[in-house]
Amino acid sequence: MPLDTSTYALSLLRLDGRRWNELRRIHAQISTQAAADGSAYLEMGNTKVICTVSGPSEGRRGQGQGGEGGKARIEVEVNLAGFAGVERKKRARGDRRIAELQHTLTQAYTSTLLTHLYPHSTILITLHILSLDGSLLAATLNAATLALIDAGIPMSNYLVACTAGSTSFEESDNADPLLDLNGQEEQELPFVTVGILGDGDKVSVLVMESRVQMSRLETMLVVAVDGCKRVREILDGVVREHGRNMVEGAVG
Amino acid sequence: MTDRRRINGPPSGTQTPIFASTLKQTPTVRLSPPTRTREPTELRKIFLKTGLVPSSSGSAYLELQHSSQLTSLKITCTAHGPRPLPRSAPFSPQLVLSTTVKFAPFASRVRRGYVRDSAERDLAVHLETALRGVVLGDRWPKSGCDVVVTVLEGEEDAWWGDVAGARERGEGWGLMCVLAGCITVASAAIMDAGIDCVDLITGGVAAVVEEGGGKRGEVMVLDPCPAEHRNVLAACVVGYLASRDEITEVWMKGNASAAISAEELIEKAVGAAAATKAVLEEAIKEAAFVKFPELAKSRGGLNDIDMNG
Amino acid sequence: MAPAATSQVLLSPAELSFLHSSLLLQPPVRPDGRAPNQFRPLVAETDILPGANGSARICFPDGTEAIVGIKAEVEKSQWRANLSEDGAHLGTGGGDVEMEEDGGKPQEEASSHGNGEMSWIELSIEIPGFRDDDPLPIFLAAMLSEGLLAGEELKDRLWINRRFHWKLYIDILLLSPPLSYPLPLLSLTTHLALLSSRIPKLKSEQDEDPLFDDDWEASLYLYPKLPTGKRIDRPPITLLVMAVGSNIIFDPSKEELAVAEAVLAVSVRESQRRENDTSGRRLNLLSIRSVDSPSRLTPSGVPNTMNTATGGSAPVSSQDAVAQRESIDQKGVWNPPRGGVKRALITRIIKLVLEPNGVAQEVMDGLNGVEV
Repeated sequence: MPLDTSTYALSLLRLDGRRWNELRRIHAQISTQAAADGSAYLEMGNTKVICTVSGPSEGRRGQGQGGEGGKARIEVEVNLAGFAGVERKKRARGDRRIAELQHTLTQAYTSTLLTHLYPHSTILITLHILSLDGSLLAATLNAATLALIDAGIPMSNYLVACTAGSTSFEESDNADPLLDLNGQEEQELPFVTVGILGDGDKVSVLVMESRVQMSRLETMLVVAVDGCKRVREILDGVVREHGRNMVEGAVG
Repeated sequence: MTDRRRINGPPSGTQTPIFASTLKQTPTVRLSPPTRTREPTELRKIFLKTGLVPSSSGSAYLELQHSSQLTSLKITCTAHGPRPLPRSAPFSPQLVLSTTVKFAPFASRVRRGYVRDSAERDLAVHLETALRGVVLGDRWPKSGCDVVVTVLEGEEDAWWGDVAGARERGEGWGLMCVLAGCITVASAAIMDAGIDCVDLITGGVAAVVEEGGGKRGEVMVLDPCPAEHRNVLAACVVGYLASRDEITEVWMKGNASAAISAEELIEKAVGAAAATKAVLEEAIKEAAFVKFPELAKSRGGLNDIDMNG
Repeated sequence: MAPAATSQVLLSPAELSFLHSSLLLQPPVRPDGRAPNQFRPLVAETDILPGANGSARICFPDGTEAIVGIKAEVEKSQWRANLSEDGAHLGTGGGDVEMEEDGGKPQEEASSHGNGEMSWIELSIEIPGFRDDDPLPIFLAAMLSEGLLAGEELKDRLWINRRFHWKLYIDILLLSPPLSYPLPLLSLTTHLALLSSRIPKLKSEQDEDPLFDDDWEASLYLYPKLPTGKRIDRPPITLLVMAVGSNIIFDPSKEELAVAEAVLAVSVRESQRRENDTSGRRLNLLSIRSVDSPSRLTPSGVPNTMNTATGGSAPVSSQDAVAQRESIDQKGVWNPPRGGVKRALITRIIKLVLEPNGVAQEVMDGLNGVEV
């Protein structure tokens, strides 16, 4: 089903009514589950992710018990629910796409968290994707960041992520960058997922799997980094709000 | 989960459809479903023998009376243990009992794969629950016992020729009969392996069936053969300890109507299990006499080999 | 096979003995102070996922959390001989009676009654830390689907026409590690998700390729609502019941299960009622299953007489150990339960569950309060 991008040129509005630099609604909650050390729930539009963190704890036996070199080991488990997509699909364990996602997340957090503070231990991040509508990697990264903050695991700064795309593959000149693609746009347009650390310009995750004009990459990156900064503000607001509630709850 | 390692045949046989309207004379195929000729409270005859597999610590074989056109239950069971747990296993203060139930590929009309499916795993859990209650597990810390049940011929869920019956396939009434057989045969194998138990456990089934014909009478039958009945409404399996009068395993399902209560159904299933006990006792006695010939000479009593818990 | 994670209880024999004896009291004293037939409070919400036909989420106070999503997809039915033209089928018992029933009706009015099939409902359970083919998820899935499939009603509602039917996928996710036996949680969540499930309204007629109304507002509940807002019938629920001595305890926690003498899972459903029937509802028993009690795997205590540290004498041989162990009848020394349950106890449990204004009724009423 090709995406009708022709209307974009006329009205400068996307299919879901957003402008090129508009984020979808982001709603987040932390401490959603009492049993976990840290947990968070994040919605980016219709992409909904629940993340739970357990640890730092003694790792499972027989698997090296924690990381090497006096650092904690990060394990990520991603579970894509059968009812997440448009059609019901059960993914086998060890699905390639899921495995890649897990790897990306593990790499990202191994470099972001201050793992040297927890030698010989394991931090397990479990992600349940309840509803899928684009920006999967970005949503999982954001949710995991919130859950890790809830678990009180020190990290140098927020790791926030966002996607950016470009309106066409063709070599025409009038292609606009788009921020925060939804599932439909993702299927049709080239896009890049960028994760940055804090509010600087330090990119720590960058994944692009589609073909795009070299000249457009620069713009896409700029837009994505800008989007990340806005996501960071939203997440920061959620964390501060939660902190305020906790303090108030503790006092009175 | 499908078995990808081997090349499997089609899951079931295929036949060209025969339309009744095209048939000139009455077909030679028997079209009337089999009916139950036994009394409602009469069980099928049971053949039970222990000690058939010399390489295992204990083994048993059970077979039910064969009626025409229908498969009858044939189950073997081997018990391996008590034996030490592998070095990597965590400490267990009790005997770790693990049960496996597997249908042979040819056990049912629809071919079963080599990989255990969920119904087989479910049966294994039921069997484990039934046996866990009778085995005196604390006499064997740090050890394990594997009970492996192979169903050579299973019970059918419905008459194979019945289209309406075929549609209802998956109800799993046959599985309940299989479970009762599994409990009895596993009990015999465990006895044969010499594992201490509090009592002899036997399995029994009772079902509420709808009798064919115009009247829709609900009848309670012991040891049902699902293919012989037009419709099974509810069924119950119990694992019963006769001398303690206790139940370790109960599995009941179906719409037990107001006329026949669940309690009554359980009661009947217990009756079936109690009747089976005589066979189990006989089989164990026979095995004991073979093992200890002097026992047969002195006394014919069972008391000597009874495990008292 | 190593014991499953849920069956491992980190309690000492002394603690187990204490717990057991306090549950034996009349009335039993539960660790969390609940009455024997009191359920844990829970937080529930429904219709949380716009992408699913129905969904629900339940949290227990101990932090266990489950989400159920239900999806319905149109599937082509397998052609069946007895669904074809009159008289063209082999005259078997089942077919004959069915024809008699709707013999008078014109052919077009083929109703969905009795046409539902087992395979139209697929249920899968995911529990963190367990593989799909581990005994626990399989046992739970079998138990929950047994209740759902017991009646004809749900299956028949999935029938669209002779050629098509709905296939219902019920995906159950346990989000937290199973701190307590997850059966009640999963059952209640599935119940709510089914209640919130809606399928699009059919616009096409009879045996045409199905065409549905795009308007989600017009969709129909899988468990239809009466104009009064009440449901004709409701999905089943499965309760976990355990017995200690003659005490019957509902919704046991993990610690309580560790000393249980018998554990039963009982599925019940409200019987279908007529439109104007406001009288008391009757409950139907759908299935009973005994659940392997983790108490059988607990370590037994060592009495003072067998402990050299307390002036006793250790057994010299294993035979001696067995003899000594069998002869002790000391209070406060934990011995894992042996044997099974008495029949009378099972009967009492069934009665307690089913009685009017009994536990099952109470749970159903509680779930009624959840806005669907």
